[in-house]
Amino acid sequence: MLDEARTGHAAAIDTSIPALEMVGIGKRFPGVLALENVDLRLEPGKVHALMGENGAGKSTLIKILAGVYEKDVGTIRIAGREVEIRTPRDALSQGIKVVFQEIALIPEFTVAENIFLEDYPTSGAGNIRWRKIRDDAAALFDRIGFKVNPDARTGDLPVSQQQMVEIARALASEARIVVMDEPTSSLTPTEVEMLFSVIRRLTSLGIAILYVSHKLDEIFEIADTVTVLRDGRHISTQPKTAHTSDTLIRDMIGRQIGDLFPRSRGAGTGDVVVGVSGLSTAKLADIAFEARAGEVLGVFGLMGAGRTELAKALVGYDPIRTGTITIGGSPLCPHDTRTAVSLGIGLLTEDRKTEGLMLELPVMHNMSLASLGRFANMSFLDEKRERSAVQEFVDRFRVKTPSLEQHIKNLSGGNQQKVLLARWLMRGLKVIVVDEPTRGIDVGAKSEIFALIDRLAAEGLAVIMMTSEMPELLGLSDRIMVMAEGRITATMGRDEATQEKILNAAIA
Amino acid sequence: MPQSPDLALAPRPAPSILATLARRNEVALLICLLALIIFFSLASSSFLTPRNLTNVLGQASLAMVAGVGVAIVVMSGEIDVSIGSLAGAVGIPLVTIMNMTESLPLGIAGALLLALVVGVVNGYLVAYLGINSLIATLGTMFIIRGGIYLYTGQRSIPDTAYLEEFFQLGNGRFFDFLPYPALISLIILAIFIYVMRMRPFGRQIYAVGGNPEVARLAGFDVRRVKFICLVISALLAGVAGILLSSRLGSAVHVAGLGFEFQVVAAVVLGGVSLAGGVGSLVGVALGVLILSFLSNGLGMLNLATEWQLVVTGGIIIAAVAFDEFKRRNQKQ
Repeated sequence: MLDEARTGHAAAIDTSIPALEMVGIGKRFPGVLALENVDLRLEPGKVHALMGENGAGKSTLIKILAGVYEKDVGTIRIAGREVEIRTPRDALSQGIKVVFQEIALIPEFTVAENIFLEDYPTSGAGNIRWRKIRDDAAALFDRIGFKVNPDARTGDLPVSQQQMVEIARALASEARIVVMDEPTSSLTPTEVEMLFSVIRRLTSLGIAILYVSHKLDEIFEIADTVTVLRDGRHISTQPKTAHTSDTLIRDMIGRQIGDLFPRSRGAGTGDVVVGVSGLSTAKLADIAFEARAGEVLGVFGLMGAGRTELAKALVGYDPIRTGTITIGGSPLCPHDTRTAVSLGIGLLTEDRKTEGLMLELPVMHNMSLASLGRFANMSFLDEKRERSAVQEFVDRFRVKTPSLEQHIKNLSGGNQQKVLLARWLMRGLKVIVVDEPTRGIDVGAKSEIFALIDRLAAEGLAVIMMTSEMPELLGLSDRIMVMAEGRITATMGRDEATQEKILNAAIA
Repeated sequence: MPQSPDLALAPRPAPSILATLARRNEVALLICLLALIIFFSLASSSFLTPRNLTNVLGQASLAMVAGVGVAIVVMSGEIDVSIGSLAGAVGIPLVTIMNMTESLPLGIAGALLLALVVGVVNGYLVAYLGINSLIATLGTMFIIRGGIYLYTGQRSIPDTAYLEEFFQLGNGRFFDFLPYPALISLIILAIFIYVMRMRPFGRQIYAVGGNPEVARLAGFDVRRVKFICLVISALLAGVAGILLSSRLGSAVHVAGLGFEFQVVAAVVLGGVSLAGGVGSLVGVALGVLILSFLSNGLGMLNLATEWQLVVTGGIIIAAVAFDEFKRRNQKQ
């Protein structure tokens, strides 16, 4: 019955007019020009891929389309008519449905209710028709072959199924344009197939798809046209058939990949400084590995694989059930962050904003936070010493900030990340765990972060790098460890690692 | 090895009804309430009489009415502590207008108008200016109380109209059985249970409190939802204040002092998370009843009011601690 509604709807779509035109879009954030004069044109019934590295401006562009951000300049036309999109509601009423990578579901609600969250079916009297919500959701899942209980509490589902629920939502809404942001990042292969059949169903109804991804094989399978962004600028728009992997990568990166990953050190063959055996937590099972001084140990896993959980267990943040962790030969016991820090292990968190930075405080206080003891005289802070130590790191890491008093929220992502790295190095660490070190950082700053990580290892630290980015994993790591569902599924050396091997282990 | 994809896709077996029930907070609260009633019936012969039980419902009605309002504010992710002062303040226009016009409806209209104004101010401060709701409503709480003292000169304003229907409103009984305030509170409770369950607006409240960002992306007007919740809370506090004033037969300048904390206590006891997005009005009603029966029963056992306060405080902490403990166990 949904389909009938949709068919009537689809008949109204004129396939000769572009479904969406974005012309000359520009957006500036404090300190960063996120988008500059970007054009994008979607045709009805076609899949348009939007590609680019992290920080290329993909997510800014789709957030403008979704009404999360407002553009500074440019025009948006939908089916030939100029529109203003200022709020998410504007976007929905224009028939734009965005499936975000971060799951946008209410965990306390049932799956069926989340499907119809944007527009509850109601009776004539305005009452919610729960029965219809449930039945329609069940019918929808049946049609796309998605086996999940519509009555389940959404928060109880594994991440991959939540992502499928997100995608199924696009089918239930009256969308003319569906935007999917990295929809496969946490899906199993079976679910990816399901997703692709959903996409084909949508395009057959005349719906335009904007498919954001940086996975080449998916693009070659599903897309009709590819637009590449780099550093906030439009680089190319071409039919898929005009591209090869090489031309796409060239457009995305715009330089040799070798430049991005400087290497100033030999293979890490120092002493073992981290030893983990039989480690289990609520989300991890039987983790065992070692990390040596002077090496970068890359840890790869898809969303929900347990990377962040491992990082947090290593620094004493998440409670552990069984197993031991030793840092520099001493057991991490009691298992708490205080002991971890005193043994010389620090964590650069995945989520800078909520777990790393104190946004309202100046650069200086953010950097010196973990080393305050060093600058204290009789428990009074010696600000002169604090300032000179901070200045030294600002110079060494080339942190771009007008002064040490600048509020850290005004710095770019890359510079914030450098301040956080400096926070730990100031203490004199043996081990640093970095979790998604380049998330939300533009390409230029990325290579600086890579150089910093390389230098840390060269200076004798053990670096444990959690990442879901294949290029940085392959470019930086001396050894690679792959996780899936809370376990280690493969460990390999730099030379034997290939993208296929790693992915196979990640979806095992 | 990790689960195979097929296994991951298999639908989970539906949990048995019994297991679902046991997980529900309301069932635990109901058991507590019944246990209390049984205990007090055994301890005091005058407890389990229709007269006493309906009395307790009448006493519980003020917290029940205001509790519904505070609960939906808390579910939307905010809080309202101005309700005690407001419940005290509405007595002033109520009694003053009745004394002048001898009309109960006009008095009630005046009282609700004051509540509406306060609700709009609270809602504007919190939803549109983005002031933390604890601070904003704490501010209005003090301002209103100060205003009451200034206006009344720290004295009560007696009801000189002696309207029979005004007396009946707070003290009469429906069919000589159920106190009118209890009847009114149950009607309001039923209406809002229906709204929270069956109207899209009720679901929007949960969504806004559960995850404002998701709610915004789903096209909800987060600020408007919070604004309306605070207005509803003020109006219901106004209704509670009208009932209180009728009970007292005048506008008393200290009426409603500390009422906000009784109500917040009942709301939290009823399982509404202060973080927002979680809770049910059935739970809130049970929370209110538990605290009311406790105070009534302890009174019958001749426990000094000082000790009643101590016991009540202990029970609130124990209940919330138990809830937290349960949640942690589920997570592990």
